[in-house]
Amino acid sequence: MTLLPACFRSWRAGPALTRAAVVWLLLAPVLRAADIATLFAERLKSVVAVEYYAETESERRSAISYGTVIDTEGTIILPSVAINPRMAPSQLKEFKVYRPGSADSVPAEYLGQDALTGWHFVRAAESIRSALTPISAFAAKTPAEPGLAEELWGIGLRNKDEDFTPYVLTSRVALVQGLPQRTAIAQQEVAGPGLPVFNRAGEFAGLALSSFGQNYVQFSRDDRGGLPVIMVNVEESGAVLVAAEVLPYLERVPGNLFGRPLAWLGAYGLEPVDPEVAKFLKLGNQSAVVVSEVIEGSPAAAAGLKDRDILVAIDGRPLPRFKPDRVVVGYVGREIQRRRPGDAIAFTVLRGAERAEVTVALGEQPKLLAEAERKYFDRLGLTAREFVYEDAVARRASPGQLEGVVAHFVKPNGPTAIAGLRTDDWIKEIDGEEVKTFAAASARLAAIEADRMRTECVLLVGRNGETAVLRVKL
Amino acid sequence: MKPTTVKSFLARSIFALSLAVFAGAPAARAGMSRGFNQLLDAVVRIDVREVAFEAGTKRLAAGIGSGVILSDDGLILTNAHVASPRAVEISVTLANLERVGAKLVGWDHWTDLALLRLDLAEVRRRHLTFAHAKFGDSDKLFLGQTVYAAGTPHGLARTVTRGIISNNNRYFEDERAVNGYETGAFNTWLQTDAAINPGNSGGPLVDEDGRVVGINARGYLGADNLGFAIPANIARRIVAGLVKDGSITRSYIGLVPGALQDLENFYALSLNTGVLVNSIDPGSPAAKAGLRGGDILLAIDGKKVDGRFREQLPPIQNAIASRPVGSTIALTVKRGADTRDYVVTTEKLESRVGEEWALEKWGLSVRKVSRTYARENQLATADGVVVIGVQPGYPADVAGLQRGDVLTKINQLRIDSLEIVRRAHENYAAKPEAVLVEAQRSRQISLYVLKP
Repeated sequence: MTLLPACFRSWRAGPALTRAAVVWLLLAPVLRAADIATLFAERLKSVVAVEYYAETESERRSAISYGTVIDTEGTIILPSVAINPRMAPSQLKEFKVYRPGSADSVPAEYLGQDALTGWHFVRAAESIRSALTPISAFAAKTPAEPGLAEELWGIGLRNKDEDFTPYVLTSRVALVQGLPQRTAIAQQEVAGPGLPVFNRAGEFAGLALSSFGQNYVQFSRDDRGGLPVIMVNVEESGAVLVAAEVLPYLERVPGNLFGRPLAWLGAYGLEPVDPEVAKFLKLGNQSAVVVSEVIEGSPAAAAGLKDRDILVAIDGRPLPRFKPDRVVVGYVGREIQRRRPGDAIAFTVLRGAERAEVTVALGEQPKLLAEAERKYFDRLGLTAREFVYEDAVARRASPGQLEGVVAHFVKPNGPTAIAGLRTDDWIKEIDGEEVKTFAAASARLAAIEADRMRTECVLLVGRNGETAVLRVKL
Repeated sequence: MKPTTVKSFLARSIFALSLAVFAGAPAARAGMSRGFNQLLDAVVRIDVREVAFEAGTKRLAAGIGSGVILSDDGLILTNAHVASPRAVEISVTLANLERVGAKLVGWDHWTDLALLRLDLAEVRRRHLTFAHAKFGDSDKLFLGQTVYAAGTPHGLARTVTRGIISNNNRYFEDERAVNGYETGAFNTWLQTDAAINPGNSGGPLVDEDGRVVGINARGYLGADNLGFAIPANIARRIVAGLVKDGSITRSYIGLVPGALQDLENFYALSLNTGVLVNSIDPGSPAAKAGLRGGDILLAIDGKKVDGRFREQLPPIQNAIASRPVGSTIALTVKRGADTRDYVVTTEKLESRVGEEWALEKWGLSVRKVSRTYARENQLATADGVVVIGVQPGYPADVAGLQRGDVLTKINQLRIDSLEIVRRAHENYAAKPEAVLVEAQRSRQISLYVLKP
């Protein structure tokens, strides 16, 4: 409004050009609003809500996540947090896709998770596909990184009871940072996590990540001093993975549920160095990563990488310095995951006072936890899970010998729980006999359950490197 | 609820209160007994100043306990949680209210006993006199027998309380009851309802004739009249060992026993035989010999063992522990249907708690990693020192070190002794220069720079 007097004055002054400028100035706010409404309506076609059921031994719980459409085949990506990593794909049931503002759903199929991006992929049934537009339709040919203070807007979705009603969120870019991918941090929440964000022209600017925790101080009548709390907005986010970090990866639709092939190095516990340590090691303004342990029998071990080696470069490129320091660990992880089994990765390492080159031929990841077989035994109140490579590493056991089974779930107050069994205990013997394989353990537990005359069984379990004999009263 | 040690940390000013003269007999018969009166003259109050390496500094803490004089050459028996090698000053108040200095002869946290000796030169110079007590036979105690506890509860010197033997074979083992040290694996305890309060620790539990049948050690906090004492027959053995060597050396094989309770049928055992092997410490002599959790130990060197109940386990543990270090033991073990002998060579038993030190310029208190600590925390070796305290704002804190971190290298030097870090710290104190430290937090290895 304060502009108006000045405008009138210049109009009186005369030329047509000025008159046009003034008309634009007056109309611009109106046009802009109309603009966003139109853009919003079009871009809603790239946005869905996805519902599924996560089934555990004791319950069945619905989960809802937001997704972005990536192609004309009805493929949708969900953020990595959409699914609890402890869940095996076999426990995820009845995927359904909802369009914003709709109470109707169509069934969908879970395609799996991509290790590099962390995205879960879901494919919606044919009937809905014509109503969906891939996000790439709104992308510029060469997407520019959002500039500081640039206005961005995005879509939020209400809950299921409100038919996933869409709404608009706007904010400005406060900061763009490598985490290690380029990430724009907006001043406020700008979209629902997993949903797209656009620039003023309606071009795809990036994908909202799960949001950051924010520090608040909570005051109450009892606690006048204030209690520091961290709050996370799970419905909206102000962190945006920029378009250039999204578009090239949309083709990574997994060919199987576990995203195989998966490149594997076999180094455990990568820890970043801080700038003081980098300075002490005379590394200049770069970062480095300490390898805590090299796992026995892994590609890293075969190539001669050693415990406590300090990685300073990959393929001759020094590890860049990120803020915070820990981000460099994600950078190294991505360097591995963007490769395929059989590919080489060359590390320059500091080992004591020496520098060494170690070239590792990456292997294929051993069976994942999610791939492990599992079976629930109701009378025992126990889910036995196959003992896989990760289990051996976590228990500092030799990964060469994968024996026994893991108590994946122990039913509260069930017979095994009462006997003292806990989740993640390593069951080594059942009734005094060693269990070598999942099949053997499974058969033995099934026989115990089937025998109605049985009043007890005895388990030998390992926990923190110790064992205990547990007597289970049936 | 766990029994808690009952050392009192009262200020010295409390002493004024304790001057109240002991008046009247606690019970007619005890009062009249000559032995009982002599015993009371042998009970002392012990004030200890000890060093604590906490929060990156060396601090002194004061504590009060009780004790009993055992001999005319001034040996005093008390609890290990009253007087430990951390003590820098021990002062004993005799029954006649004279104060004399004392030195630690030795301690044994496993039985929670420590032995002191009065400064005899001072005793002679000042012409002081004291009485000494006699041991009774703790094996002959019966349930319901009247006993008295004498000591300095809450700094109230020369207090006698009366009760009975509530149980003469109580089991409890505690991982860190004696100032963080393990206790109770090798003996059972006497339980009494004589009031045992903080400050009673180290005082005698006596029969009606004033013979020492136990050394009071702990009570359940928040419970009424559940007190515990070390039996005199155990104490007598420990005293002899401490007088001779200043410490008690025990053998270790790494077998963690469990009570069989009703599992005899499952393991097809004849009545009253066998101890369940609950766990075998990784890398221990028993592990090297091939023993496993779930085995049943039937005999030690041909002598049958019976471990149906928890109370039966300490004597069995003690039978192994009292062998000379490096001796071989034949263990008869049943596994499934097979029974065979395993020969185990014992190692020296070590506490989880290693030697401590404060590296004050760095604001860092550390404790040497012991073999036991390494085993429990699944560390590859017993190298390194554990951080037990960090002083805010000092170099270690600024660099990001935390309590529980294990320092493994300093300036590329492997830390295989406390001496390595002490020396590095001395160098730093003389000439402050940045130092590179490698440390392990759970399983993650990180680097830190400590700089001025």
